[in-house]
Amino acid sequence: MPAEEIFYLPLSELAKRIETKKLSPVELTQMYLDRSTKLGPKLNAYARLTPEVALDQAKAAEKEIQHGHYRGPLHGIPYAAKDLLAVKDIPTTWGAKPYAEQVFPYDATVIEHLTRVGAILIGKAAMIELAGGMGYRFASASLQGAAKNPWDTKCWTCGSSSGSGAIVAAGLAAFAIGSETWGSIICPSAFCGVSGLRPTYGRVSRYGAMALAPSMDKIGPLARSAEDCARVFAAIAGHDPKDRSTVPIDKGAFTYSPSLDLKARPLRVGWLSNAWKTLDSSVAKALLAADKVVRKFFGSVRSAALPEGPFEDAANIIIGSECAASFQTLLRSGRVSELTDPLGQIAGYVNQQYSAADYLRANSIREILQKKMDALFESYDVLVAAAQPIPAVPLETNLETDLAFPDPLGAIGNLCGLAALSVPCGFTENNLPVGLQFVGRAGDDFAVIQAARTFQLHTDWHRKHPKLS
Amino acid sequence: MNGKGGSGISRREFARRAAIASAVSIVPAANLPLDSAVPKAFPSQSPDAPKLSPDNQAEADARYEAILSLYRSRFSDEQKADLYRLCLLAQEPIDRLRTYPLENGDGPALYLKALLEREKKPEVAVTPRTASPAKKP
Repeated sequence: MPAEEIFYLPLSELAKRIETKKLSPVELTQMYLDRSTKLGPKLNAYARLTPEVALDQAKAAEKEIQHGHYRGPLHGIPYAAKDLLAVKDIPTTWGAKPYAEQVFPYDATVIEHLTRVGAILIGKAAMIELAGGMGYRFASASLQGAAKNPWDTKCWTCGSSSGSGAIVAAGLAAFAIGSETWGSIICPSAFCGVSGLRPTYGRVSRYGAMALAPSMDKIGPLARSAEDCARVFAAIAGHDPKDRSTVPIDKGAFTYSPSLDLKARPLRVGWLSNAWKTLDSSVAKALLAADKVVRKFFGSVRSAALPEGPFEDAANIIIGSECAASFQTLLRSGRVSELTDPLGQIAGYVNQQYSAADYLRANSIREILQKKMDALFESYDVLVAAAQPIPAVPLETNLETDLAFPDPLGAIGNLCGLAALSVPCGFTENNLPVGLQFVGRAGDDFAVIQAARTFQLHTDWHRKHPKLS
Repeated sequence: MNGKGGSGISRREFARRAAIASAVSIVPAANLPLDSAVPKAFPSQSPDAPKLSPDNQAEADARYEAILSLYRSRFSDEQKADLYRLCLLAQEPIDRLRTYPLENGDGPALYLKALLEREKKPEVAVTPRTASPAKKP
């Protein structure tokens, strides 16, 4: 096997080698650290590497495994966490200068879960400042600068989990943790050609994570495949008394079994006709090929349509209002001016002006929308559409004007807390990845994982990776 | 998760802000005090700025003025123009929400979750330290 290939092995293969002691967690961690040290800065992928923590954890994992105490499929596996997750005594910057020296004395619940199953934290992934909550006009809106897409370093990774996307695509870690309020897992997954799971709202604890819009924030994995996402999701999902938005104990946990029979539940697929107004021609071409795969390997595929209404407006007002509350101190102090992005420096002041009545009205519309979507899911198990209507954009793009297309599926999916998974489904003429997203009912994360796994059983887009030097 | 709000405002300050907020959010343009109707200098906008109804325009203008009344000195002229543009852009989405048909009984997707005894937090080993913005170098 070429040396490069080990960095792109799926979790199942890494786990098998580690469990059978053919691969040392310490060696694997050192290899990923070396690669991350070499390539990470070229991509602006990391907020920081954590070699001391990583090697300590790797040595402990190796010792345990040598003594026959194998914890499971993430034991000894290196990963990166978006820099909005608290890691005890290590700076957690939220990608923003005003918080550059912020240190928490505890771990986020997600980090605790991953530590418990023996995963190795090799670094904090770069991110858009404050996860983009204050708005941003340019890809450079980050303490680390613009995250560069491993498929074409003149292009962006998308945000706000920008570093997480770059790290997985470049094989700098086996998986990464990201977060999404609106688009921040799905878009980087699509632009970077990796698989990314946005779990149902409340399925993964946000304790210890930066709050942007608490009624919409979600945490999820970006990885090599839907199966890898499922393995990570199984480790981080579950009720958490420290995050009261998490779903009850009996609905929170997710169990993953490699022997899960993909044909156990024939999925009813709705191919969305109105997720995007227009598709870039190269994206449309990839989608056409994906459509053929879906129609061939899924039992039932019919055309479906999202309900129409001011749902993007509702999502914008809810996020704007909640973000203004989350960062009230920053706004009042004036230190918001220290953000990198010119839009981020001022947009929060406008968000502060939304009235409580308008915020509550947006939430009433949200409740109506939830019922409409629940009714739609009576007919379909998963909805399918392009993850993004365009491929990765150049680094210098004005995102406010050139990436401002309507995104009703993103708005609806995030307003209703629906599960979604983006997988690679082809490439443009310029060799940029195209993503396909599966969206499922709230709580039915299994359906989107099953759909994406089925798609990946019959395609190999997820096995392709960029050439890096 | 991001620490304390740190709001230690005086009653007078609270009253002043409440007055501004209510002017922005509730009072129709026609009912604004007379001095509000005096033409004020707003940054010029590009031709593709949204064309708002008089009421909506007045509300967007009031929103812009409310921001400046609190934070005027923080902004350059260029930022003021950008702020005004954002205030105008914010108006149409609000208007669409307000015209969406809702019944009185349509509750918002926000409900108090009573803190039942069994749900109370178990003893946490480490009390989270409130994180505040890093100090200026």
